Amino acid sequence: MKLKQLILLPALLALVSCNGLLGGLYDEPAKSPFGFVQCDDDGRGGILCIDATSYTRWTYIDLHHRHIDMANITQGQEAPIEWDFAIHHYDVKTHEGTAAETPFDNVGMAKELYGLEFVADVDSQVVIDMSTMMEGYLGYTPSKVNPVLSRWLDVDISTMPPIYTPSNKVYLLRLSDGTLVALQFTSYMDDSFVKGIVTLQYRIIND
Amino acid sequence: MKLATALLLVTLTHFSLYGQNLPSDSTQTNPRQLNMVVVTATRTPRLLMEVPVVTRVITEQDIRIANVLTLQDLLQTELPGIEFTYAMNQQVSLNMQGFGGNSVLFLVDGERMAGETLDNIDYSRLNLDAVQRVEIIKGAASSLYGSNAVGGVVNLVTRTSDRSWSLHLGSRISSLKDMHHYGSFGIKRQRWNSLTDLHYTDAAAVHLSDTGDLRTIFANSSFNANERFHVNVSDKMTITGRAGYFFRQREKSEEANDRYRDFSAGLKGDIELGQSSALMISYAFDQYDKSDYSVVSRLDVRNYSNVQHTVRTLCNHAVISPSDTTAHLGTLTFGGDFMRDYLMSYQFTDGSHTQYTADAFAQWDWLPTSRLNIVAALRYDYYSEVNMSHLSPKVNFMYKLPQVNFRAGYANGFRAPTLKEMFMNFDMANIFIIYGNPDLRPEVSDNLNASVEWSRNQYNLTCMAFRNHVKDRITTFWDQERNGMVYSNMSPVNITGLDISLSKQWDNGLGLRFSYIFTHERPEEGGMRASITRPHTATMRIDYSRDWYLGRTTLALNGRLLSAVTCDEYTSYSNLTQFEEITYPGYTLWRLTLRHSFSRGVYLTATVDNLFNYRPDYYYNNSPATIGRTVALGLSLDVDQCFSNCKEK
Repeated sequence: MKLKQLILLPALLALVSCNGLLGGLYDEPAKSPFGFVQCDDDGRGGILCIDATSYTRWTYIDLHHRHIDMANITQGQEAPIEWDFAIHHYDVKTHEGTAAETPFDNVGMAKELYGLEFVADVDSQVVIDMSTMMEGYLGYTPSKVNPVLSRWLDVDISTMPPIYTPSNKVYLLRLSDGTLVALQFTSYMDDSFVKGIVTLQYRIIND
Repeated sequence: MKLATALLLVTLTHFSLYGQNLPSDSTQTNPRQLNMVVVTATRTPRLLMEVPVVTRVITEQDIRIANVLTLQDLLQTELPGIEFTYAMNQQVSLNMQGFGGNSVLFLVDGERMAGETLDNIDYSRLNLDAVQRVEIIKGAASSLYGSNAVGGVVNLVTRTSDRSWSLHLGSRISSLKDMHHYGSFGIKRQRWNSLTDLHYTDAAAVHLSDTGDLRTIFANSSFNANERFHVNVSDKMTITGRAGYFFRQREKSEEANDRYRDFSAGLKGDIELGQSSALMISYAFDQYDKSDYSVVSRLDVRNYSNVQHTVRTLCNHAVISPSDTTAHLGTLTFGGDFMRDYLMSYQFTDGSHTQYTADAFAQWDWLPTSRLNIVAALRYDYYSEVNMSHLSPKVNFMYKLPQVNFRAGYANGFRAPTLKEMFMNFDMANIFIIYGNPDLRPEVSDNLNASVEWSRNQYNLTCMAFRNHVKDRITTFWDQERNGMVYSNMSPVNITGLDISLSKQWDNGLGLRFSYIFTHERPEEGGMRASITRPHTATMRIDYSRDWYLGRTTLALNGRLLSAVTCDEYTSYSNLTQFEEITYPGYTLWRLTLRHSFSRGVYLTATVDNLFNYRPDYYYNNSPATIGRTVALGLSLDVDQCFSNCKEK
């Protein structure tokens, strides 16, 4: 009888836990909603979540109308008429605006400081094809890029996997109409650790 | 009450024991331990000197003298031809005489381990503190162990509680700010015994260089808890139970940590059937999980889980001559396994896959004369997911003369394609996709070896020549049409070599051991030299022990010598005609260990690692991850021995 019980016990154990134990130890990642996911009560700030996983797409953000548009680079799609800044993977450009890096680490505390250097976009290039990386080169296309805002994340691809180092700084973006906006990029991935999901906080300081 | 007092005393004084929770160092050990009983070579207990398959054993004493924290360091210290390096994403990768981590089977008390990363098991699960000895079979052994035993088998045999009670505590710190703490508690009664181990390791990040392939070794911490018990249900039946939990965290970046967990359990029954037969039935559960932990959101998201359930039976039957009941003709061993293998991975697009494997094997260990031993075995393995099967034969001969043993053998090894290799579909950061291949053939090795062993007056010399013909090795190749990497079978490779070991133990306490391996790996059809197997490797140890009135002091110098290796590497993955020659430099590393065993069960250890302060000019992935000379100090305590010594006084 004892022998039978000993043989049955493992069989029972196997049945109750075929695909493993203690799944409750882990969290289920929430699916990221994209767009203006949170707005401050006064309507002057909030949180944005952008799907910037694609290398062939610019995502255009219009803060005044809380509107987001996308344009495929390789298909030759044009930028919308009204936009304030745009994100391509981890690159950032402005709509004829300028940007400066501040010492602040909290959007709520950001303000314009004496001596900040606001920098306009420059002619540069962005990666649109990573598939040739193993052949030793990447596919680029010419584009305007704001060098200050694009410093929010350093991606070192000299080792695999790449090393991501966020600056965690608050940036001031001066729009073409003079509006001053504080931006802080808070994450480059979602809860499932998918890279290229960009989350940022913004706050309109003055307009 | 005495136990409680002892625990309190230990806590207050921070006394500790690093892993040396073993009997005292008072016994002089023959370095080859020829009279030791080993089990891995034939799955039956045999004296090391009488096993027909060359078996290397790393003993308790070797582990103590090596004074290392990890199995990787122990194997590299004790055996030439073994190199643990870093691979992509700083994952640990093994090369054992031309065979990678997925072609060397690692066992703990004969049980397989679930989970892998870049084709290697998580070696940090293998905690040396709980190990009594390590048995290593070099060469194929699939006729007894099935898949993965292509290039060898490494079996860790754990300790059992052998005293009425025991409490061992230990700590070790190093100049790299690494810490290791360990404790175990054991009880032995007439019909049962139990041993519980707890281990904690914390290794700080180490910055090696600003420009190399290896730059900063990530910080790691791990926790390991194990319980093992044995119950003698009757004179003829023993039940063994075990349970374990393992947790490791790797601080990959400021935002994200990699986490690894393992839950294991097992129940085994050993039953004597009459005078000459024994039956073992076991069930084993092993679950290895990987998860990403976000420091920012505090979410711990599982992305990999490998769950294995294994039921195993093994029967040994000693065959006695019908005419002479004292004449042992041989041993018949047979058995089978059934395993359910579940794998959920972020590298699958369809979530998870489950495979059932079954096998049956038989071995005849024949003693036709007192000098001759012949062992023949055959095993059949079946894999459900791709309806694949494989037959693995082996035959070994041993002829004994006074002081000399001759051994020769043939063994077949195979490695079934893993679920990952068959069904992977993984987008590598938008760079390319790695595709699995359900049409993969199993990797197969034919191993031939011949050796001679000479032992006399505490001298031991072993010379072994080996040849492995490896067909259908599984690797990834670039597929231009699919613009990605695809798992495929390689053309055949030949690995030949020579393995020489010499040891001598003098009566005055001096010991010497030297081992050298020459390995030559060559593709049968010629072409580029892809192998990074170093052709010449050697290990050596000189140790000296002396008893004096304060106890026993042991001084040991361990050396590891590796030659340079030149190979060809592709300059473009998509154009397989372009490659360049690259030479990885050779190096030597030396470790000096001073250990003192006080008579009251207190052990002090000081170690100088990388004694001659070697630093690579450039840190390749296969360079030693050293920043130069480091120092480690260990303090350990056998609480029960302290009490017994006090009582004696």
